[in-house]
Amino acid sequence: MIEHHDDNPALDRREFLRLAGASIALAGLDGCSRMPAEHILPYVDNRQELTPGAAQHYATAMSVDGYATGLIVESHAGRPTKIEGNPAHPASLGATGAIEQASVLQLYDPDRAQSARIGPARATLAAIATALSPEALRARAGARGSGVRLLIEPTSSPLDEELLARVLAAHPDARVHMYSPLAIDRAPDAMVPHYDFTTADVILAVDSDFLASGPFHLRYARQFADRRRVARPTDPMNRLYVVESSYSPTGAAADHRFAVRPRDIASLLRALLASLGGGVSGQPSAPVWLSAVARDLSAHSGRAVVIVGEHQPAEVRALGDAINAAIGANGRTTWHAPSALIGQRVPLRPLGELLDALNAGTVDTLVVVGGNPSYATPASLGFSALMRRVPNAGYVGLYENETARDARWFVPMSHYLESWGDARAYDGTLSVVQPLVSPLYESITPAELYAMMSGAPGAAYDLLHASFAARVGGDSGAAWSDALQRGLIPDTALPRAGAMSIPSSVSTHTTPPPPAGGVDVLYLADHKVHDGSYANNGWLQELPAPITQLTWGNAALVSPATARRIGVTDGSEITLSTAGRSLTIPTLVVPGHADDTVSVQFGYGRSGAESLARGVGANVYAFWPGIGARWESGVSIAAHGSAQALALAQTRPTMATAHPVRQATLPQYRASPTSVGQRPGRVLSLYPEPEPPVGLHGSNQWAMTIDLGTCIGCGACVVACQAENNIPVVGAGEVRNGREMQWLRIDRYFVEREAEVDALMQPMLCQHCEKAPCEYVCPVEATVHSADGLNEMVYNRCVGTRFCSNNCPYKVRHFNWYDYNAHLSETELMVKNPNVTVRERGVMEKCSFCVQRIREAEISAGRDGRELRGSEVRTACQQSCPTNAIVFGSLTEPSSEMVRRRQQPRAYSALHDLGTEPRVQYLARVRNTNTELAGGA
Amino acid sequence: MPALFPRWTNVVARGTLLAIVAIAGGVPVALMLWVRTSYATGEGAAVSQPIAFDHRVHAHSLRIDCRYCHATVEQTASAGLPPTVACVGCHNKVMKQSKSLAPVMASLASNRPIAWRRVDALPDFVFFDHSIHVAKGVGCETCHGRVDEMAQVAQATPMSMGWCVSCHRDPAPNLRPRAEITTMGWSAAHPRSAATDSLGARLMRDYHVKRLTNCSTCHR
Repeated sequence: MIEHHDDNPALDRREFLRLAGASIALAGLDGCSRMPAEHILPYVDNRQELTPGAAQHYATAMSVDGYATGLIVESHAGRPTKIEGNPAHPASLGATGAIEQASVLQLYDPDRAQSARIGPARATLAAIATALSPEALRARAGARGSGVRLLIEPTSSPLDEELLARVLAAHPDARVHMYSPLAIDRAPDAMVPHYDFTTADVILAVDSDFLASGPFHLRYARQFADRRRVARPTDPMNRLYVVESSYSPTGAAADHRFAVRPRDIASLLRALLASLGGGVSGQPSAPVWLSAVARDLSAHSGRAVVIVGEHQPAEVRALGDAINAAIGANGRTTWHAPSALIGQRVPLRPLGELLDALNAGTVDTLVVVGGNPSYATPASLGFSALMRRVPNAGYVGLYENETARDARWFVPMSHYLESWGDARAYDGTLSVVQPLVSPLYESITPAELYAMMSGAPGAAYDLLHASFAARVGGDSGAAWSDALQRGLIPDTALPRAGAMSIPSSVSTHTTPPPPAGGVDVLYLADHKVHDGSYANNGWLQELPAPITQLTWGNAALVSPATARRIGVTDGSEITLSTAGRSLTIPTLVVPGHADDTVSVQFGYGRSGAESLARGVGANVYAFWPGIGARWESGVSIAAHGSAQALALAQTRPTMATAHPVRQATLPQYRASPTSVGQRPGRVLSLYPEPEPPVGLHGSNQWAMTIDLGTCIGCGACVVACQAENNIPVVGAGEVRNGREMQWLRIDRYFVEREAEVDALMQPMLCQHCEKAPCEYVCPVEATVHSADGLNEMVYNRCVGTRFCSNNCPYKVRHFNWYDYNAHLSETELMVKNPNVTVRERGVMEKCSFCVQRIREAEISAGRDGRELRGSEVRTACQQSCPTNAIVFGSLTEPSSEMVRRRQQPRAYSALHDLGTEPRVQYLARVRNTNTELAGGA
Repeated sequence: MPALFPRWTNVVARGTLLAIVAIAGGVPVALMLWVRTSYATGEGAAVSQPIAFDHRVHAHSLRIDCRYCHATVEQTASAGLPPTVACVGCHNKVMKQSKSLAPVMASLASNRPIAWRRVDALPDFVFFDHSIHVAKGVGCETCHGRVDEMAQVAQATPMSMGWCVSCHRDPAPNLRPRAEITTMGWSAAHPRSAATDSLGARLMRDYHVKRLTNCSTCHR
């Protein structure tokens, strides 16, 4: 779908002249063509459920790491095109993350597996069902199924658990194993931590990116941001301390951030517990800032909370529990509850037991359901080779990936947008997975597979409905349609557990000092491709990673000091090696990263049949020391002089003199509110006054306010915009050329403040200037102003001079250097929003303030004979934002959130001095710093 | 020695120069004229359909309301074409055996749609919405002409941007009461009289009709 244009065939002079001549000769004829004949195909029968031409919305849920997030999906004539969050769902609250937004593209991915096979030969689903029937399996794997093994991903689906129990009933000696590289090491019946940030005044996050990853991150981000709106300078504000090694979006949102090496985290927590009076033997040493944090936490006893990253070892997480007990957080800002993942009715065994059985050669039939263990396991385990030795190994998955290659037979799995099913949110809320479209290919859901294996095959809908009816009992019809409509079943959250069990004393087991000269390596899930499952998604690959702005690949992140020490810069290749393992990967220097530490991300270096993912980045799993390892020390690092060009969306780390992002500390803001926004009023300008005068038409005057104090830079808005506005993917080569097409980008600037490095985030999009510099230079009036204050881009007038882009001080205009849509597959075309023009080569484009949504809302209001209120229109970026940092509306509606926010003293226009009068305004970022640490200002 | 070129070549040379000027100026002018011809706009060109559906019979003689078949015209951007079952609703009693209805019956039997040919095609970068025009009092006839007099439906108006914009700049003369939206041959009692003008002005007010000439009104 991309990269096809990267290698232009060499054009010799003769060829060029020949083509140029032909173009001139044919140019005149272009106007003579009549429009091609089009056909209209009405339905044959009446469709009660749909009005042709009107979009439909259905509730469903997407699971990541087994936990559901409720979604509302927009569908046009039966094809889903856009994902939104379900406001009623506890894990969404109306917001979505980048992965959810991009999942609709995965549905249409042309690389998805399209047919089942046994051996290399194509097979029907019926043949698969026969081969997997209990009789067939008993015949080959023992009467009690002792040779049968299932390897599944973490799931919370009660339906899957019920059907797995039936599989085990048919094969009592079979075993079910669960594996995911990112799964938390925890017993199935162990309790999981929950947090409530609505009452937390002081938060300490230790190696936890709770705002941008994890099953409840959308909810947590909303709760966190709601306590930081500072509508008036006197408003209270929560305070966030972050202790971490690699810079995360949560770290960027922090009021104080401390970069520490991974190996120091446990001892810091121990020191913190000691200073809070917890039972710790020994006398851990602690840095000065820790005592200030400890005092702040204990001063806010009962209104403070500590979050320890879930990927830390259990004993470190226990330290967090003990600290929470010491500051009175338990039962108030944090509590424990049962896990929503399955494992209660069906015993789930770890991968290790499966590996033992594979090594012993006692496995006859191995069915891998989802996941990608041949890729996403440490290379030292040799899973791939072991799986190849299994006589009857099969894989059910979306792609013919690395694991499918090791399987004798393969069945395509249905995408969640094609599936009936259920799943639980992190808190246990039961959510319904409802398909938006019939399966595009011959595929099955995990439930259908388990039904086959239990001897009672059925369609997922029937299985789900029967399971639902059994659970509800009696007349389930009304309850069923209610559940489908809401997308969830209310009041199904799991109850809180009683008091947490807190260890009375935590051992002072100390981390052994690392061998001299080595570095710590920190293993991270990727913000975009996660564990690698979403690596074939162009929208995610091209999304600049939060903080690093890296697209299309991963890198070894190092601090500037470490980079200097080993003599590397952005793109320099290094080799990490230890204990016979080695990894070659380019480096990327990140200010604020912990020194002597290298962080690497999973999910790249794929080698399956996914054409976009193949060969992008380095495979970190191959270097991973063992399942669950968060970090290791004593790794030697060698720079070898070579370098590769990283596809960075932003190459300048700091702001120039213009200071597009403003920030202040809370004391500064309170002392002098007006100095933060700095609005000297209209500046003198040579630009003519807007014509027609803005606001004289009695129409809405569209504008946007973006709160930089709550933007965490997660990137959900960027993908939401890409999905809504048919924005193409350009590929790594074009990103290196600075030709990425996303209408909305998130600029990131590093600013040093005392001992800390702040990462400032700024969503940057067309500012819809009232005196728009682009408009004055367009020779063909392809970009003009509308009466309701939009800077319009008229594609059919644009001749591609690019003068407008040259004259735009915000650099938010994007040019179609190639016909990015010309080579899309038939399925990829189906994701296009029918209400937005698909642009051609040679045309400029930019943010339109989702004008299609504005006009549609106007038309809808006009049909009802009423005036449209500005706050009724929500842009795609606004709708996806977990923290409600973006608000849109009309300046003519003074009561709207958008107008009220821009009346705050901290509102300002980016590059105000240029006199462009942007309709987008930003709210300066306010940090609630601790006076003990920051000296007050 | 005789002249190298005979005298008459002067005429040829002058003529050639003139021709070059004429072609350089004339070709663009001709092209601009050409796109305005009805051939280029498609105006008046009847389109033959897979079924010889006659609007004269249905809309004129039988007085079936336009909205019976074009059912979504008041709700969505597209006016909609009837599903096959809408045809069969009547025709399972009327002219059931007619040869001209064979494609309808075939569509029903095979569950495959009838492939009608589009008559009024706008470019893909134009987003036209029927529902709002109908709600604001623009009649079917205003753009589609006397469909009730067409044996084969033809594009009745140029449907060029200039034609659209002329009404968007001054909608009043093209408005009618909502009750008369589907009426064919409707006219205000006294054309061009003061009464007509005041009707247009009244409807502009009553239906909150705006003069929308923003580019993004149609181009998004």
